[in-house]
Amino acid sequence: MYEQFRDIGQDIYTAGLISSHGGNMSVRVGDRILITRRGSMLGRLTERDIIETSLDHDDSEVALASTEIVVHRAIYARTNGLAIVHTHSPHTILRSMIDDEIVPIDSEASYLLHKVPVYSLPQTAGSSAVADTVSEALREYKCVLLRGHGPFAIGTVLEEAFQWISCLEMACKILNLRDQTGATLKEYREHGEDYAKW
Amino acid sequence: MTEWHGYCGRVLYVDLSEQTYHVEELDVALARDFIGGRGLGARLLFDLAPPDVAPLSPEAPLIFATGPLTGTKAPTSGRFSLTGKSPLTGTVLDTNCGGAFGARLKGAGYDALVVTGASSSLSTLEIDAEGVRFVAADALAGAEVSRATTALLEGRTGVSAAVIGSAGEREVLLATIMVDNRRALGRGGMGAVMGSKKIKGIVVSGLTRPSVAHPEDLEFFLYEVKKTLSANPITSTALPRFGTAMLVGVLGKRGLMPAMNYREPGGAFVDGLSGERLADEFLVKRAGCWGCPIVCGRQTRTAKGEGHGPEYETIWALGANLGIDSLEAVVDLNYLCNELGLDTISVGGTIAAAIELAEEGLLAEGPRRGDSASVADAIRALGARKGEFGEAAASGARALCASFARPDIAMEVKGLELPAYDPRGMQGQGLGYATSNRGGCHLRGNMLGFEVLGTPKLVDPAATGGKAGLLIVAQHLGAALDSLSLCKFSSFALSEEHYARLFSAVTGFEMGGQELLGTGERIWNLERLYNNREGFTAADDRLPTRLLEDANAAGQVVDLAPMLEEYYRFRGWNGSGVPRSAKLEQLGLSELAGAV
Repeated sequence: MYEQFRDIGQDIYTAGLISSHGGNMSVRVGDRILITRRGSMLGRLTERDIIETSLDHDDSEVALASTEIVVHRAIYARTNGLAIVHTHSPHTILRSMIDDEIVPIDSEASYLLHKVPVYSLPQTAGSSAVADTVSEALREYKCVLLRGHGPFAIGTVLEEAFQWISCLEMACKILNLRDQTGATLKEYREHGEDYAKW
Repeated sequence: MTEWHGYCGRVLYVDLSEQTYHVEELDVALARDFIGGRGLGARLLFDLAPPDVAPLSPEAPLIFATGPLTGTKAPTSGRFSLTGKSPLTGTVLDTNCGGAFGARLKGAGYDALVVTGASSSLSTLEIDAEGVRFVAADALAGAEVSRATTALLEGRTGVSAAVIGSAGEREVLLATIMVDNRRALGRGGMGAVMGSKKIKGIVVSGLTRPSVAHPEDLEFFLYEVKKTLSANPITSTALPRFGTAMLVGVLGKRGLMPAMNYREPGGAFVDGLSGERLADEFLVKRAGCWGCPIVCGRQTRTAKGEGHGPEYETIWALGANLGIDSLEAVVDLNYLCNELGLDTISVGGTIAAAIELAEEGLLAEGPRRGDSASVADAIRALGARKGEFGEAAASGARALCASFARPDIAMEVKGLELPAYDPRGMQGQGLGYATSNRGGCHLRGNMLGFEVLGTPKLVDPAATGGKAGLLIVAQHLGAALDSLSLCKFSSFALSEEHYARLFSAVTGFEMGGQELLGTGERIWNLERLYNNREGFTAADDRLPTRLLEDANAAGQVVDLAPMLEEYYRFRGWNGSGVPRSAKLEQLGLSELAGAV
């Protein structure tokens, strides 16, 4: 399991989706959570950076766990997700401060994500409000976005959750580039106007 | 009065003993909590079947249930479930089937059909929007499935028939119910239950399509679903071209198709039994279920005749598992089983055990390795309960091997013969067999996606850590799909998000993807509670010792114990395999705890 954390963490950092110490990940194993250590560097995780704690109650290990553990626990309690990835993806964060929902225009994200909702909360990290909002939203969408903070995604394995976040970042980059160019784009999809219904 | 969309809002109850019927309105709470199909069937079985009911007694209900998507424009929605107590395993048993029967039942105005009692003589049921007719069927006594089906359907349109063969009439515990002579309610011996009620066939007639709550939303979601199905090579190319027989190559080349009752690897059978060969040499045309764009069914022909199938499981069960490498012989054996109305997987598993018993010197006369003629004779004997062997084999591999005091030779779980995936190379599949609510089965929570096909993501098939969680998600998704009712093959391309949106658009009930999986969890636990009520415990969540102790060619055995421990903890079950009260409360099933 450590190898999965290490490899996905390296990929997240290399892709520029976090700063040196940003982001967090976890995996549910039975009634336990494996979660990245608070202050760990996802780009260079060691086995000591993976903290095991309870799914539904605190124990002493919580002192070492990611600040976002309350959010991770809430997500596992309300969904069938087995893995969670949270990043501070720059293009995605910029887009979250422009739109109330991300409706991708590129083919890949149209297929895979369709639409990603954006939520605005004053306290963006580790609060019960974040836990409630994000976990409830993930019951309907596999990837959701906190305005100014970044996306949370669930999957059956870390790789899957990472895919949604990577795909969203590319989609937001394309949207931001569109705005930069100011060009009128040609629609290539059938039902292009319907993706906001998702 | 509820305004129903997707559902008819009506359940038809038939009492064969009294030759009466009545209709009751579908409970909205049941529809919301258990969706339909398998979930609805499980709940009705729990409520209607007396505890410890004998599966072949008149009191045992037989429940045909459609899902809210059955008969709609949703791809692969021509499906329905049959639920009852299995005479082979003693567990809850649902079996899911394609064809047109489900769409016709809903077209007649019924979400579900509940049959109890028993006729005094062989009969058929004729069901339409007007009600039920009880028709004498003495002339069809002993008829093969094709003859009986033709007699019931000939000259009629908009009609579908579920029929048993002679094996079902004789209450053989491996008996199927065949739908329109080409699809099977295959596993667990439900044909014997129908035979015990002296029902040769059920004919349903109806063309009314269910209404849709949000047609414009549905149009877009259907567009997305079809686009995704057509973009996936499994659902757009492999299954349409080669049928499920594509798995002969996929699994055989990876050391995951066993042979000879799990005693040998099956790789040597790949060339002779492949899906490519089936398509090149025997395929007449592809044959799809109602509303299916995948069209994996095979209409085939050999020198001896024409028929439907075989599926991958059948090719393995009647081919590699018996040492038969002639695909033509396998196709003919499949036709024979279909005509008698027998489950090819269980028949193959039982005869493979018989061959091993013979090779151990315990069975004097019987089928022989690689000898299709002797296998055909054994199938006829089994289907007719003929002779000492036929009588013993008619109750499956467990009973046959028990009669020789060699239970280790029976490759079964909870009495249901294992299918065609060697779990020694797919650890999660082994856990799936052990924990399946209906016994040794690949369809309750298939790990093929995670461990072989990479859908949604490929994981190490030899690893045990984390497999419990993945299997549980697969079990929940499977339960939800069987309840909607959609074909599981669609899940090679689609996710719970797609299914939830289809459900919401059709029914008007708001449901997200995770809530859909949560409903699958409720259904899984309800089935578990039923099994607990019937006396099943953790001791029944086991595998044959061969899979735990005898290594495959790669030196692997199933390391079941740690996966099982993680599985129980994950599920919130106690050490006896019973859901804890907190879990039941979370799922809204607390009221049933007292029954266990």
